[in-house]
Amino acid sequence: MSASPFESVLSSLIRQRGVLGCLVVGEADGIVVDSNVQVGIQSNVVAALAAALYRKARLCSAAAGLSTVGFLQLEAERGHICAIGRDGLVLVTLAEPRAHIGRIRGAMLDSVSVLA
Amino acid sequence: MRTHVAEPWIEAPLQTFVDDAHALFALLLHPNGQVMGQFGFTRAVDVMAACALAAAIHASAGELGKELDGKPFREMYHAGRDRQIFIGDVPTTRERFVFLTVFDSESSLGLVRIYFQELCELLEHAQPTTTSQTPISGTSLEHDLNRNLAILFGRAPLGADGGESSLSLS
Repeated sequence: MSASPFESVLSSLIRQRGVLGCLVVGEADGIVVDSNVQVGIQSNVVAALAAALYRKARLCSAAAGLSTVGFLQLEAERGHICAIGRDGLVLVTLAEPRAHIGRIRGAMLDSVSVLA
Repeated sequence: MRTHVAEPWIEAPLQTFVDDAHALFALLLHPNGQVMGQFGFTRAVDVMAACALAAAIHASAGELGKELDGKPFREMYHAGRDRQIFIGDVPTTRERFVFLTVFDSESSLGLVRIYFQELCELLEHAQPTTTSQTPISGTSLEHDLNRNLAILFGRAPLGADGGESSLSLS
């Protein structure tokens, strides 16, 4: 059985400090393609909602004439959700408040080519 | 637009699903094709046809699942060009239902599956503690099918006891 093409990307992201999980999700259907998440995270639920959020953000950005969404970050009381997409796939990362978002952002931007 | 239900305990769970999942159509039925609640349909004949087809698809998929996997398929999904359809089995402790929903690109399969699980849990908690089960005969099945359709489309006058009385659609 061959490894997923996203395995190395997810492995490098999950090793970042404060990252709770990362997923590759279909933007249209919100179904998990591949994931690496800590125990206790409902990856299916997060995937569906994050994909819907990213899709709405993309449509909103386009409607406002702002072109494509580069990087989406949701800051919540107990952490962050970051998303970046290309060609119908979305890379989603969940992180604790203490996580270094700059590094995560950089790693995600470096990884976006694997989604194509 | 609001949901229409044959029994009041179904309304809140079904409305919650429709609101959360942004469904275009929703249908809750018994596996025998008797409608229990609906959203989005405007004609009784469409509900009748959808219930018959959903019941048949559910039964066929159940048997196919047993043949292939040793257990019935619980969920089915088909993506059309603009709209998508999802059919799921709703097991509760007292009764089993079939759920059908149609959605477009405003929603997604992932969201529908999440809210379908939530619907199953809400129905489980909302169902009454006692149900009056009567044996199904050819006459009572047709009677029940027509009664629920009449209730959903406002054609069933209240009976002497304040409850819905049956009314033939023919």
